[in-house]
Order: sequence, then C-alpha cells, then structure tokens
Amino acid sequence: MSEKKIGYYPGCPSETTALEQDISTKAIFDKLGIEWVEIEDWNCCGAAEAEDPRLVYALNARNLAIAEKDGLPSIVTPCSICYFNLSRTNKALKSDEKLRAELQGIDPSLAYNGSVVPKHILDFLVNDVGLDELKSKLVKQVKLKVAPYYGCYLGRPPETAFDDPDDPVLMDRLIELIGGENVPFSSVKTLCCGGPLMMTRADIAFEMARKILQTAKDANADCIVLACPLCGMMLDAKQPDIEKALKIKFEMPVLYITQLLGLALGIEPKKLGLDKNIIATKKLLEKVM
Amino acid sequence: MPIKAWELDPHFKYEIMQEPGGEHLTACYQCSTCTLGCPITEIIPSYNPRKFIQMSLLGMRKEVLTNPDLWICAICQTCTARCPQNVVVGDVLSVLRRIAEKEAEAGNITIESPRPLFEKAFLHTLEKYGRLYDMGLAMEYYPKREGSKIKGMKAMMDDYRGFGMRMFKRGKMGPLGGHGMLKGMRPSKIKQREVMEKIFEWAEEHEK
Ligand code: SF4
Ligand code: SF4
Repeated sequence: MSEKKIGYYPGCPSETTALEQDISTKAIFDKLGIEWVEIEDWNCCGAAEAEDPRLVYALNARNLAIAEKDGLPSIVTPCSICYFNLSRTNKALKSDEKLRAELQGIDPSLAYNGSVVPKHILDFLVNDVGLDELKSKLVKQVKLKVAPYYGCYLGRPPETAFDDPDDPVLMDRLIELIGGENVPFSSVKTLCCGGPLMMTRADIAFEMARKILQTAKDANADCIVLACPLCGMMLDAKQPDIEKALKIKFEMPVLYITQLLGLALGIEPKKLGLDKNIIATKKLLEKVM
Repeated sequence: MPIKAWELDPHFKYEIMQEPGGEHLTACYQCSTCTLGCPITEIIPSYNPRKFIQMSLLGMRKEVLTNPDLWICAICQTCTARCPQNVVVGDVLSVLRRIAEKEAEAGNITIESPRPLFEKAFLHTLEKYGRLYDMGLAMEYYPKREGSKIKGMKAMMDDYRGFGMRMFKRGKMGPLGGHGMLKGMRPSKIKQREVMEKIFEWAEEHEK
C-alpha cells in the first residue's frame, strides 16, 4: 500500500442524502490509519445529468487539477457515478493534448497533467489497502446474510471498469472476509437501480428497484450492501415509496459497504452513521453486536 | 410504415459520428445484443436500442429524434459493455438526445418528456453553486414540468412529503440537516464559482 496521503472526493450526496456514506468512509480511513485530505473546494462531477462529455471533462478537470496541485497521487470516491466521470475525464485528458490545452484556456485552474489516479472506494479497499491488511485489522465477525449489490459503473463500461461486468466479486470478497454470507444475488447484482429515471419516469425506476429489493428478500438477506449514493437513494430512501406504490412490504435494510466494514473494524455504529439509514438498522445491529 | 427514401437524411450518421461516443456507429451489424441485455426493454418490451442504431444508420432523422423512447434510457451502459462491435450504444443514445434538444430549442420538434427540463434544472444548480442543490433543482423543475407555479408546488409536495420527512427525521435535510445548521436547505457553494460560469459558457458555445 502506498504511504502517501490520498485525496478524498465525497460527491454532492455526501452532504445530504448519503451523509452516512461520507461519515463511514472517513471513519474507516481513520481506523485503517490512511492519511487523507478532502479535495479542496471540489465541484460536482456532473453526475448522469451532464450528457455532454465536454462538460463532464471540464468539470472533472478542475477536481483532478486541484488534486495534482496538492501533490495527491489519487482521488478516492465512494460514488460510482463520480468515479466514472473522474476516470473517463482522466483517460480523455491523458491521451488528448489538444483537449488539455483547450480546457486550460477556459481557466488556468483547469490545467492538468494527468498525474492523479481516480479510484472507487471498493477498488481502493480491496486492491490498494488489500485484503491481508484489512484482515489484520478486523476485530469482529459480522455474521449477516448479505445481498451484495453493484449496479452500474463498477464493471462497465469497459473503458473505466475495475470489476467483472457480469459477475463482479470485489464486494463479495469483502463480505466473506468479515464473516458475512453472500446470498445468491447474481441475477440482479449488476442491474441498474433506476435512479437516473427517478425524477422523470418514477414508474420505471420503481420497477427496476423492486426487482433488486424482491430478490434480496426472496434470498432471505438481512440487508443489501452497496457502494453508490444514487443506488442508496433508490433502494433505501425511496423504499417506503416503492412499497406504497406497488403495495409490497420489503423492510430491507440497505447499508453502504463502508458501514459494514466499519462494524468489522470495531467502529461504533453511530460513528458509521448507522442511525441515518432510512430503513432502520436496529434489528440488524442486534444480530451483530 | 414503409420508409420513403427521399425523406431519409444520409448525412445523419456522420452528424452522430462527429460527436464523442458516436464514433463507431457504422460498425453495428444488428445482432441485437444491446436490446437483449437492456433493463428497460425487460420492463417495456417495445423499447429497442438496436432499432435506434439502425434507424440512425438509415438516416431516419426525424423519426429517431421525435421518438419518446429516447428519454427512458437509464444510461446504465449494459448495452455498451456487451456490444461485440464496440459501438458505444449508451453514448450514441446520449448524442441523439442532445441533437433532439438542439432541434427542440430551434423550434423544429417538440419533446414530450420532462427529462431535458430536469437535466437543465440540475445543471443550473452546478452552474450557480458548483454543487448540486436539491431544493433549487426541485423549485425550478416541478413548476416547469407542470406548466405553472401552483401545480408545480403541488406536484413537488406530493413527491417530497414522505421522502422529505424521512430525510428530516434522519437529520439529512431540513433546518438541522447535513453537516450542520441549514446545510440541507441552503446550497453548498464552492469558492471558485466564477470558474463554473466559464465552464458552462464554454460548453454552451460548443453545443451551438
Ligand atoms: S450490440 Fe452492437 S452490433 Fe449488436 S445491434 Fe447493438 S449496436 Fe449493433
Ligand atoms: S444504457 Fe440505456 S439502452 Fe443501454 S442497456 Fe442501459 S437502459 Fe438500455
């Protein structure tokens, strides 16, 4: 593992809907002794709403340039869409000198030389920190039946993927490592959560989320674990709305992988924001504590 | 409906291929792998990404740009990952949406879907503050979607009543939400907001 300080890019939902993801990510960084600093004055990555790639490149060039200027070798983000946008911008800028010059022309703060590596938190934990290192720091077995949900942008598209497109495994490995049991979930683990359609076609978005929640429930999972705030919003925060609209009951707790790992590292539930998930985690915690 | 050859636009495919993501369009050999893996097709069987590719190749410009299905793609990139010909299907659909928006702005077509309004409202908050501001987004989006302030406010309340209460109860939004006093209610602003303005100005210049 690199000894150097990492840059942390929280992403917009970290300040509101995905507060617990932000809290738990910082808590495990500290517990693992990882030196980190938040990217100074970071801006939004454009999410799925910036459909023009040039706009995405310009927005993310600024964040990459700030990290570079501060001498940070990597930017780690807990959001799948932020990761995708940072990573594709990095690729485009590294290979396209003309684009780099053009962006620099907009404002000098967008001048970037390609020295920073964007990483998704899951990739960072499994491949940079490493399973051996994590194992040495575990203090508790988290014996839960877990449905590992990956969604989009971790295994696809190929240009930025770091896990298998059809059967990703990194989260499964983390869950096994901490004593959890992965329930059969392959049929939906990479299905889209419907998040990008939430505000314009809620009917379709609900049906997409329903499939995932239903599969977890049918597999008798104690919880779904995921690694993206938009997925968290759909499956956790919107779950009561989906239940109401489709007249089904799930009551399926949804945790961020950083929260689950944090428990295994012996961090107090409150310090992992486990009081902030919308579907109550109390019963789940009773099984673990 | 039969195709009328004289109504086809042979230039359309080049228009798409000029845009980032559209480059490999002509490599498509119509295998349908994209459609078979699409989660939207699974829910709405008439939705067909392959057809968009083929119609674009044929030059059915107007039919493609006015097809309401263009706006129900979830941008999940499953089609992109699976295409054996490296057509970046998800990005081609995004290019089509951007061309459609330009045509709508020029008054040549109308778009029924509220998605362009949503995306614009989202981006307006970035342009202003540098970060997403949920409340600002909702205040712009709902009235525009419903066609009036009053109807918009009602639709917004309907959507947010339960959701907003849940967020409030967990301390994520509302007067005490987020990482401190008023954080979830007020926009989180970056310092270098003037750079955001410049970025958006530049991107708009390009889109013309
Ligand atoms: S998967 Fe690729 S080659 Fe096959 S129909 Fe779709 S775009 Fe064409
Ligand atoms: S990106 Fe759109 S068209 Fe492609 S598989 Fe996903 S929802 Fe379907």
